[in-house]
Amino acid sequence: MEITWVDIICVLAVFLSLAIISTRRIVGMIQIFSLQSLLIGLLPLLINSGMPSAREILVAAGTILVKAALVPAVLFWAIRHVSMRSEIKPLIGFGTSVIIGAILIAGAFRMSLSLKIPWVAQYDLLVPCSLATMILGFMLLVTRTRAITQVVGYLVMENGIFLFALLLFDVMPLLVEMGILLDIFVAVFIMAIIVNHINEEFEHAPATFNREKMGESI
Amino acid sequence: MAMDDRTIIAILFHWAIAILLAPLFVGIISKTKAILAAKVGPSLFQPYYDIVKLFQKGVVYSRTTTWIFRVAPVIVLAVMLVLALMIPFGIVKAPIRFAGDIFLIAYLLGMARFFIIAAALDTGYSMEGMGASREAFFSCLAELALFMNFVTLAFKTKSLSLSSMIGADAPVRWEVFGPSLFLVVISLFIVILAENCRIPVDDPDTHLELTMVHEVMILDHSGPDLAYMLYASAMKLFLFMNILVPIITPIYSHDAVVGVIVFLAMLVGIAVTIGIVESSMARLRLNRVGNLLLIAFVLAFFGFVVALWKTI
Repeated sequence: MEITWVDIICVLAVFLSLAIISTRRIVGMIQIFSLQSLLIGLLPLLINSGMPSAREILVAAGTILVKAALVPAVLFWAIRHVSMRSEIKPLIGFGTSVIIGAILIAGAFRMSLSLKIPWVAQYDLLVPCSLATMILGFMLLVTRTRAITQVVGYLVMENGIFLFALLLFDVMPLLVEMGILLDIFVAVFIMAIIVNHINEEFEHAPATFNREKMGESI
Repeated sequence: MAMDDRTIIAILFHWAIAILLAPLFVGIISKTKAILAAKVGPSLFQPYYDIVKLFQKGVVYSRTTTWIFRVAPVIVLAVMLVLALMIPFGIVKAPIRFAGDIFLIAYLLGMARFFIIAAALDTGYSMEGMGASREAFFSCLAELALFMNFVTLAFKTKSLSLSSMIGADAPVRWEVFGPSLFLVVISLFIVILAENCRIPVDDPDTHLELTMVHEVMILDHSGPDLAYMLYASAMKLFLFMNILVPIITPIYSHDAVVGVIVFLAMLVGIAVTIGIVESSMARLRLNRVGNLLLIAFVLAFFGFVVALWKTI
């Protein structure tokens, strides 16, 4: 059974999701997410052998542009006023979340054993790695208290869904693909505007303002 | 294994080469760090000069130490010399090999570590005790990661002997095992950094005992004892690199000259990579080192899951 670049990129996507879970710095999380989107965006070019067709190039370019460049730029804009750039109190500690991430990866692989999907035989790591990325993104979404981290968790989940959708790549219309990208961009844009409003509200708070009491949500 | 004269001479020759080569790689790492800092740096053979110099000095024992302190350097050196015979070295399989020898290797390393820790506690110096407790904690997690890597390799190659897993002509090939080997390599690299007191786990050049992990445990040794400890840590680094290199590039023994050149070049390459990693990072906060080793374990576990998946 030969290995392919598709396998390596799928494994790297899960590895980078684990890296996002174990990072404390928000800037680091956004940068790792950008790298993950870049790698996943290269997959449409590699999934069919031979020269990539125009449609594949378009999807890859659109994905990389939106998810590896535009969305991180919007997220960096949203946290430009935030001085506390690290996660303070996740619901479970960082070591524990890494171990739980490992168990979830094993669970994702076990789950994809029972799924009877007619996938392409050479890309057999695609389904379990996409499920693992989805589950890890979801775990990030659920166990963190800061809104920006939850946005990054949602985006990692979306990366996992994109991986899974590569199975249907030949039959999915280009319009649907572009529509999904637009939806993601609009969602992140709206989240960034809301976070920006919250930040500005807290910026003008009195000096004795205690963030702990108001709940640390940004 | 027939013990005729030729075999014995070959084993002794292999042992002598391994013993002579080990301190060179510590020198390569120091030289790389110096070059990256735009300095000239010590000579490549500085560890040899240090060891020779230390043998010519006298030894001083504190009154608070007992026989443990005197026996620890000897045990550590003996363990490292025995391990030089048990780890495959390039195109030569290990002279001492049998099914299950990975457990003996790991536990011999553990025995050496135990005696270093015991000697450090024996001196009664609080800083050494602190370093000993850090070393004990990190080595728990590092051994976990190391064993997970061995489990993945053993599962793939269906054998429990290190020479069959990664020695010459071993069936560890990238075309077959691809993604899980990639994860094993990253995980083993983190374990190498942890076990051999390199940044980001421990700074080998620091002068502050408060921040040391390994260096502080050998502070009180002097003269030949310190020479044994320095040599043993150089040999440990060499042995761990010998485990990592055959996983990255497979070595075939029918092509002897090419195999030897490739192996030595890869060893130098790994040493230079360790030097680059050391120069580009700072040491992690001590409560974050545990997280790094947990990540190494999880990477190895993920490699095992991928290896399992590929057989289905």
